[in-house]
Amino acid sequence: MNVDRLVRETLQEQAAEQPGPPGDLAGRVLAARRRRRTRAVTGAALATAALVAAAVAVPALDSSDPGRRDVRPAGRPDVVAHPDQAVPRDFVAAGRVGMAGYAAFRDMRQRNGDEVLVRSYWLLNPRTQKYEKADDRWAWVAVAPGMRTAAVLEGELPARRIGLLDLASGEVTRWITPAHPAAAVEWSPDGKRLVATTYSKNPDRLVKVPGTSPAPQQHFSRTGWVVVDAASGDVGPFRELPQTPGEKDGGYAGVARQDLHWSHDGSRLYVQQYEGPRGRNYRDWYTMAGDRTAAPEGERHAGWPRAGLSPDGKLLAADGTTEGSPILDPRTGKQIARVPSSEQLAWADSNRLIALSCGPGPCTGKNEQRTRLVLVTVGSDRTVPLTALRERPKGYKGVWSPMLTTR
Amino acid sequence: MDAESQKRFREFVEGRSAALLRTAVLLTGGDRHAAEDLLQNALVKAAGRWSRIEDPEAYVRQVLYRQQIGRWRLKWPRREVAVAEPPERPGADTAGGADLRMVMRAALARLTPRQRTVLVLRYFEDLPEADVAGILGCTVGTVRSTTHRSLARLRALAPELADLGPAAAEAAPSRDIPPVEVRP
Repeated sequence: MNVDRLVRETLQEQAAEQPGPPGDLAGRVLAARRRRRTRAVTGAALATAALVAAAVAVPALDSSDPGRRDVRPAGRPDVVAHPDQAVPRDFVAAGRVGMAGYAAFRDMRQRNGDEVLVRSYWLLNPRTQKYEKADDRWAWVAVAPGMRTAAVLEGELPARRIGLLDLASGEVTRWITPAHPAAAVEWSPDGKRLVATTYSKNPDRLVKVPGTSPAPQQHFSRTGWVVVDAASGDVGPFRELPQTPGEKDGGYAGVARQDLHWSHDGSRLYVQQYEGPRGRNYRDWYTMAGDRTAAPEGERHAGWPRAGLSPDGKLLAADGTTEGSPILDPRTGKQIARVPSSEQLAWADSNRLIALSCGPGPCTGKNEQRTRLVLVTVGSDRTVPLTALRERPKGYKGVWSPMLTTR
Repeated sequence: MDAESQKRFREFVEGRSAALLRTAVLLTGGDRHAAEDLLQNALVKAAGRWSRIEDPEAYVRQVLYRQQIGRWRLKWPRREVAVAEPPERPGADTAGGADLRMVMRAALARLTPRQRTVLVLRYFEDLPEADVAGILGCTVGTVRSTTHRSLARLRALAPELADLGPAAAEAAPSRDIPPVEVRP
């Protein structure tokens, strides 16, 4: 036998052994492209189709009340950074916001051909100020402002009941059971209420449909939402909100999750939409009664970034690229500044943002897949790294996603 | 991308992604995760130019090959794929075709991405040298020399292949080899 014949046979054999591509590859690709265009943080790996909740909650401050302006307790360091940690071990914070934990996910291929995206969480141990792997029971975790309580969903989503977890003791202090199962919960900015997005099936499961393509498919099963009062456990009326035909077009990150989020002041809810008529990201807004409504003043020009409106309501973080991101005047939508980061996650105070940014050094377009958590200041080119370039926790497909909330 | 283009893109991905992924796995030396990354990146690029691409499959394949070589350029100091265990050496009485293919597979994984890409194009895609040169943006002479050196490298990595006959590419190395473009 000649060596070239053996090369040929080896390559053919190796190719023939390969199982099919991952489920809904086209959806993942389209979603990754949207993210590149909008956030410039690529989902290069199929893995980075991260849809982990960045539980960003920034309470509205009354800037006319001087007593509430400085939210930093005396003696607490303003910035707690660990620029050497690619997977965080120690508490990270800046200004009013702390990283309550982080999440990473895996794609679990099922025997029946389905694929399930499964999240794992690492939460801050308030005693040691270190991140520890959370109980694998928790399929979804949202940490409340103040970082003392988390809302948790257990088992495969959607979950029948919502747990309120005491982060110090690790015990669930209350179980709340809405009439409809939920696959996401998010705290209101004041930390008093939760919005639970309800689904009839697991939106993170790609389902193998017999007689169709070999790849498992996304499905759309959002039923609506409810608001829960955390103190009393009372569940508000169910608001029906199935996914619209527009929302079914693509489905963010290849799975069919489209959750409800709070407005800056906690008075309305929105669903994030991608690439509207003018190619811009936008939000569909709803009243607490479930009716479609206009965007609140100040959030009309909001796009992808969860940071949104600054605490004093004077600045709006908008969609950026690896070259940097605009800061808008929320009233006019006009750019008034730029920050050198690609995705703005939370306002550390009225002038500083916790964000993701490539680097060190300028973004070249080649390293946009790798980003680190940074602190940037409006009106300054300076970037303060809070972590090293993010890496995937061992055994996980994607890099970790921060969960930020007020501390 | 409008709804009709998205539909056509989805149909293309559904129909061709299995074959494209097989090629990507060969290009990455059997690293399935890296192959999925490679393919997704190529498809994202294709989606961005979808309305202007006449032959999507040819376009995606070209991006796959060139991306792979780009990676090689970026990662020059770590060009060899680490293998956890050395390839098992088949005993004299078990050196059948299957064993040799396992040895070959391990050796292929240790080539540089560029060497592997040239072999995949020549021996898996069965493309003539001129086509390979066109895809990779180099001269026919470079394709010839890279093929020659890649096969020699395989022999060096796996002494079990010593008894195999020379390939045509080994027998007649080109005289127009540029000064060391691919270092073994």
